[in-house]
Amino acid sequence: MKESWANGASTRSRWKREATLPRRVSLSAAFLVLALGVGHGIAKARGQASLPAAGNSGAPSPRYLDPSALQLSPNGRWLYVVCQNADTLLVVDTRTQQVVERVPVGRRPEGIALSPRGKTLYVSNEWSDTVSEIDTATLRTVRTLRVGSGPVGLTTDRAGKFLYAANTLGDDVSIIDLSSGKEVKRLSAGHFPEYVALSQDGKRVYVSNLLAQLAPPDDPPTSEVTVIDTAKQEVVDRVMVPGTIELRRIAQVPPAEGGYFLIPFLQPHNLIPLIQIRQDWYVSHGMAVVQPAKRAGGKARVVEILLDDVDRDYADNFGAVVTPDGREALVTASGANLVSVIDVAKLNRLLSRVPANDPGVLADRLDSARKFVVRRIPTGREPVAVVVSPDGRTAYIANRTDDSVTVIDLRTLQATSTIDLAGRETITARRRGQQLFFNARFSNQGQLACATCHPHQGFENGLAWSLETPELGRDVVENKTLLAIKDISPYKWNGANPNLATQDGPRTAMYIFRSQGFGATEVRDLVSFVQSLRLPPNPHVGPGGNLNERQELGRKIFFRDKTNDGRTIPLNERCYFCHPPQTHYTLRVVVNVGTSTSLDTNQGFKIPQLDSIYMRPPYLHNGEALTLEEIWTKYNPDDKHGVTSDMNKVQLNDLIEFLKTM
Amino acid sequence: MRTRWMAQFWRMAAMAVLAAAVAQAQAPAPKPAHTPPLYTHWINYTAANGFPAGEVYCVTVDGNRVWAGTSHGLVLIENGRIRKVFTPADGLAGRVVMSVAVDHKTGSVWAATFGGLSRYSGGQFTNYTNLSSGLANDLVYAVAVQGRYVWAATAAGVSRLNTYTGDWTIYNELNSPFEEPWAYAIAVGEGKMYFGLWGGGVLVYDLAGHYWRPYTDPDESMEIVLYRNQGLIHNIVSSVAYNPGTKMFWAGTYFGLSGYDGRDWHNYLTKDSGLVSNFINGVQSRGEMVWAATQQGLSELDTKTNTWVTYRPANWAALDAAKAKEAERGEILITGPHGRKTRLETATSLAHNYILNVAFEGRDIWVATADGLSHGILQSEREEGNHESAAKRR
Repeated sequence: MKESWANGASTRSRWKREATLPRRVSLSAAFLVLALGVGHGIAKARGQASLPAAGNSGAPSPRYLDPSALQLSPNGRWLYVVCQNADTLLVVDTRTQQVVERVPVGRRPEGIALSPRGKTLYVSNEWSDTVSEIDTATLRTVRTLRVGSGPVGLTTDRAGKFLYAANTLGDDVSIIDLSSGKEVKRLSAGHFPEYVALSQDGKRVYVSNLLAQLAPPDDPPTSEVTVIDTAKQEVVDRVMVPGTIELRRIAQVPPAEGGYFLIPFLQPHNLIPLIQIRQDWYVSHGMAVVQPAKRAGGKARVVEILLDDVDRDYADNFGAVVTPDGREALVTASGANLVSVIDVAKLNRLLSRVPANDPGVLADRLDSARKFVVRRIPTGREPVAVVVSPDGRTAYIANRTDDSVTVIDLRTLQATSTIDLAGRETITARRRGQQLFFNARFSNQGQLACATCHPHQGFENGLAWSLETPELGRDVVENKTLLAIKDISPYKWNGANPNLATQDGPRTAMYIFRSQGFGATEVRDLVSFVQSLRLPPNPHVGPGGNLNERQELGRKIFFRDKTNDGRTIPLNERCYFCHPPQTHYTLRVVVNVGTSTSLDTNQGFKIPQLDSIYMRPPYLHNGEALTLEEIWTKYNPDDKHGVTSDMNKVQLNDLIEFLKTM
Repeated sequence: MRTRWMAQFWRMAAMAVLAAAVAQAQAPAPKPAHTPPLYTHWINYTAANGFPAGEVYCVTVDGNRVWAGTSHGLVLIENGRIRKVFTPADGLAGRVVMSVAVDHKTGSVWAATFGGLSRYSGGQFTNYTNLSSGLANDLVYAVAVQGRYVWAATAAGVSRLNTYTGDWTIYNELNSPFEEPWAYAIAVGEGKMYFGLWGGGVLVYDLAGHYWRPYTDPDESMEIVLYRNQGLIHNIVSSVAYNPGTKMFWAGTYFGLSGYDGRDWHNYLTKDSGLVSNFINGVQSRGEMVWAATQQGLSELDTKTNTWVTYRPANWAALDAAKAKEAERGEILITGPHGRKTRLETATSLAHNYILNVAFEGRDIWVATADGLSHGILQSEREEGNHESAAKRR
């Protein structure tokens, strides 16, 4: 039960005064803050907290906050917390561990960066395609900068003249000239670029991509770290991390300790029939050690190291940070609710034994972590971000589905307190479901959570999996999105699950978690959460939902009933027959559209919904169509998947432009 | 004593004469007045020094990097050294590379190949083909970058990729005034895009107004010119170029050279100009100069003085007839404004007389030929001064 903040009588101006302290420190003001801080501590100890928790209202937030990113001020006094679900940036006084200000930002804020001198904060608004520029002195938004689609990770260059924003839906990186506020460049990244980091020498920006490069379904996945030269503002390298997906936050070890980057990842073993795996090892969790090229034009070296132990997984590594002295690295396991503390010297000893000609030697070793992980410290639920104070003594960890921040003393390696960010007080079924969704403890050995295969809040991971048939290569099916699926039952590609409760309950327990799985109440909660998942705004749709000329032409093709030469298309072979707009563009039945192969037991597959189809490559049940075009140019030779062979390339392009607006 | 002095005098005199003769042999002969600076030294990249054998279809300069599209891959030359030959094994869409464009904003390199369109960025290729993307056809003859858009001239029309949204647009005979969809060339102008069509003349697309303007041969399909300077010289257009300095676009055709300044046409044929051949593979223009890459050499027009300079190997006829394997000495043909012709020779030569395209690196020129890539270095001012003095002395 959260404490009530309702007794707080403080005004917004009072908190603004506190917030401006970094710029206008005076003895009297400092004394006032000290007094207030002490007062808050006393009030909280008495259960009479006095902070306004929801802007001017003084009441707790009516929404869950979902803190997703953290940033400390240069002096470590202020902790800035990006609250994804509340469209808000919180300011926490690290001395009092109290929220002192709430700053409204855009929709679904996800990332944060601080200017080199600490005067300006930048917060990416993933669903607004903008970045809020906030003056740290006044905590007011001074500009709203336009970037690409779905911005998440942010960093400035060393001079603070340019801002780099990773656009998840655009697969690119926007570079903003901060003097004009205009986007000057957009560089192509990998697939779903999410997080960025400026190298300590300021020469490079590293970008981690959540999803693997598009490739045939029987190819092992390969993920990309995009490397941008900050002087040229060009992509100078694309470092490949083989066999991985879900590259997350990036931390760099100081040059004296090796100068390499640590990037948490997931190793999916999707090509092995899961039913043949008796106990464990559908997925492994670890981190990529990326050693930058030593000379211009040289190749970076990648060593993959697992953070799991032989008898336990630490699912969904996410946040990463290195202490200023480079002695420790912290990697949060968001599905295991803990943070792994890495002794960098021990890690370096292990790395020194990796042969130069075989950097993959540790990639599947489950006995590595015990050689350098010195502590696993419990956190709150779903720890997704971690920062360390400038003095290296304290780490702060954002617990997304707990609306809290865990504070860790790095000298004792103990969690010393938890900062309650004062999110919504009552815990709803949906919230419980959300907490379950990201928690791996229900699976055998804590191997995976729902979020492991549905990252980025219910998205799909773009891989085809061999799930239920014990033969190598048979019945491989593509992972499906969980966004906006409430009304599209039945589920699975074969349409065998009548509802989400079946999908999330016994099926998940039997085939995926290999455990008792969720209980009845938990399934209900989980279903409630999954049904609440929404799609991001579609960047292909114009203002007011209007279609452009080509999209309109494509719409006519989608709804056509005659071929180009005037023949009537049978009703059941028209696009809209199987993909009716009234029901998320799915008729919700199983049909055979000629896409099965000799490796499929079933000939028919459930018609997929087309909502936001633009963001969900690859396509078809087995993920073999890497682009929308390939659905028809390669995999519809007999016109079974709609009559399309009479269409010319211009028409097909127009049709695709329309599909991307769905 | 006197005899020994006389012998030494005659020996020194003989050496001076010999030295002068050697100098004369090493340097090109003097050029006429008003001739543009000449490329007198050529460095060739051929199979003999590790370059892919055969045709070089295009060359593009990007700082200290030179990209050459060949019949056997994409070649990267850095600081004068062959750094890498990219082939489909490296991820390139096709072996035959017809055109290369550098996006100077992002650093991405775009290659038009006969297997689709390739983007090279950060050491990796990303390919766009007819099956996997909205590209009109996999026979891509030319590529150009215009802001956030990449344009590709293909055998089935022109494709445009919006690199911000990933949207593809095709322009062909179905939706635009293409007499022929077979597009060979692209040039980026100021607010306009220029397309050379094989049999369809030149099409100009207005970027702001979103409308097309076709330019075709008023003589239509006749291979003689009835109406001189009244329109495009021929509809088989192999190349187009836009010169922002003169605001003119130039079209290289298989039957002569055309330039259009917005009001008048300026057409050139071999019969009444210094153009070495009417069969033109490539055209470029900067400043007052126009270069025509022809099947019999590289012709350069100084539009200010109406002086033509043509470069080709001195043994070009033997090369054409396959009687010689390599170019030997170079030949420079200068045609003055009144038709007076001068012939000079250089110790080095273009790799071949069949020229496909050119690009510029500062004052230097890079020339794509049918058998290697040539780097032409401009005659130094000192060298030029010596020749002019020598010409005056005569």
